[in-house]
Amino acid sequence: MSGSYVSPGVKPTLPLPSAAVAVEDLAKHYGSVRALDAVTLAVAPGEIFGLLGPNGAGKSTMIRILTGRAKPTGGHARVLGHEVPRELEAVRGRINLVAETPNVYPRASARENLELFCRLYGLPRRRAGEVLEQVRLGDVADRRVKTFSTGMRQRLLLARALLNEPRVLFLDEPTRGLDPPSARELRDAVRALAAGGATIFLTTHDMGEADELCRRVAFLAGGRVVALDTPRALKLGLAGDAPAADVVLDDGSDLRVALEDAGDAGRLEELIRARRVRSIHSREPTLADAFIRLTGHDLVAGGDDDERDR
Amino acid sequence: MSPRRILAILTKDLRDAWRDGRILVLLLLPIGGGLFTALANDDKLPTTSVAVVDQADGAVTRELRAIAGKSAKLKLERVPDAASARRLVAAQEIDVAVVARPRAQILVAQRAPPAAQAIAELAPVALDRAAGREPRARPPVEVVAAADQKPADVLGSSFDEVFSILLFVIFVAMMVVPMQTAEELESGTFGALRLAAPGREILAAKALAGYVYGAAGVGLTVALTGLRVDDPLVFFGAAFALIVTLVGFGLLLGLLLPNAGAINTYAGFLVVPLVFMAGAGFKFESGIAGAVLDLLPLSQAVKLLSDGASPQQPFDAGPLAWLVIAVWAVAGYGILARIATRREL
Repeated sequence: MSGSYVSPGVKPTLPLPSAAVAVEDLAKHYGSVRALDAVTLAVAPGEIFGLLGPNGAGKSTMIRILTGRAKPTGGHARVLGHEVPRELEAVRGRINLVAETPNVYPRASARENLELFCRLYGLPRRRAGEVLEQVRLGDVADRRVKTFSTGMRQRLLLARALLNEPRVLFLDEPTRGLDPPSARELRDAVRALAAGGATIFLTTHDMGEADELCRRVAFLAGGRVVALDTPRALKLGLAGDAPAADVVLDDGSDLRVALEDAGDAGRLEELIRARRVRSIHSREPTLADAFIRLTGHDLVAGGDDDERDR
Repeated sequence: MSPRRILAILTKDLRDAWRDGRILVLLLLPIGGGLFTALANDDKLPTTSVAVVDQADGAVTRELRAIAGKSAKLKLERVPDAASARRLVAAQEIDVAVVARPRAQILVAQRAPPAAQAIAELAPVALDRAAGREPRARPPVEVVAAADQKPADVLGSSFDEVFSILLFVIFVAMMVVPMQTAEELESGTFGALRLAAPGREILAAKALAGYVYGAAGVGLTVALTGLRVDDPLVFFGAAFALIVTLVGFGLLLGLLLPNAGAINTYAGFLVVPLVFMAGAGFKFESGIAGAVLDLLPLSQAVKLLSDGASPQQPFDAGPLAWLVIAVWAVAGYGILARIATRREL
């Protein structure tokens, strides 16, 4: 895929000084591998922004740079107006991250895990208890984390990320491996944070999640932004596709009908008259469709840049 | 560098070590080994039972222990008066009685073993010292070392304790510190800490944790084994210098190996040669092997520890020993800083 796709009338970037997160011509190379290649984007204060792409697209690398844990090979990255990682100290207390892996201390209790970070951020210890109550882990605050379920660990990660009341919260594949109720809970927490004025920078390869949460999304493939717009605009970009319907027949078989095709339409009419149709659903393009159309890949393609998080 | 953040991470590391069975075993194994050999050596010593009619402050008992040192094991019993002491000696229940009041006297059982008779010979010195007097003039007794005596022979039973201290430092630096570091990197908690603290502070805290384990372990080994340290400054200084130096390389190992399991697997390749090197430090003083060993921090630490432990200073190591250790420390932390920067930690 070459070039970049931007929906008409939507600016891909905001004026950099006013952005909560801004990257300009950002590049990160690991030897001959271009994890990020001339990426430019900006996220407005209070916005929920999604960076979407398959494993290996460069999402985690982007987060590593924005959280000051990796140096870019070229270009600039700014968070809350400060160049990172050079001016990281100026923003350290105002950003936080929910990592993809449950990187908590299993031999410590939930409270001890958070109290460590209270001390690191210079916060009073009671803040740990407050946040644990907020994520509904108050009852198990003194239990060792090794006894926690995946969902509980993810809630603990969120609690840790909320400790310092971040102005910018990065979430790296936050719902991967979570059961649907836990994932929904986490999404609700993210919406609440954004409603409180925090900027959310989310990476995911779950297009449904991005569609549901994000005001704008960027598609990242091969280290480049290939599209950046609202989910709706990206889906409408595929509106030129012929309308279709998915039909389920009385014998349980599926049928896709192209509504503009006279033959297909006539066949559907016959089936309806014969009372053989159990259900009809109009088929609208999804973000995943838009991604595949724009990048030529589906979301499970590619390698994995998670290893670089070590 | 923020002391608050370093202290927070250090406290977390120490607590985590206490809860991690693998780390506890690695820390306790060499100390236990040292204690075991000390007890085994202790059993070889002749035991002399001594009744003491002491001053109120227990000074005679203290001085008797000091004089006996590691040459004899004393079984001391305080008795109220000279008459009680005499009864015990007469009943052959006690080998020697040392009476400090009302007048100084020493009683020896007729069939007392040679060690008890030696203690009786030395008891006047203890009485003089306890009374604050200079011991009466006695012809100086000089121990003449055998011409072909090795440093390990000079150290005597202290050799085992010095060796267990070296073993402890190697275990801490080459296994405990790298395991904790690698585990943190592997689980991603290092990355979580990096959000709240710079990498150099995290590594500083991990190095400090290594120093704390090392210092505590050396102190505990000395206390438990009863190792007599002749020159504490040299002995503890050398132990600490070795800990600081090796911990730098241990951290490096933690960064380079992929996980704690790999440390378990590969550390043997490092620990065993280091243990051999420590042993060789006692054996080869000259020749090519001696010259090569002189360039290594472990061999120089062996010399300094031995000199610190024994009044005879078996190696008589000079400033060169300190210099070699310092050069390795600077090299280790220099490489560590370079790797950490390259790895964006």
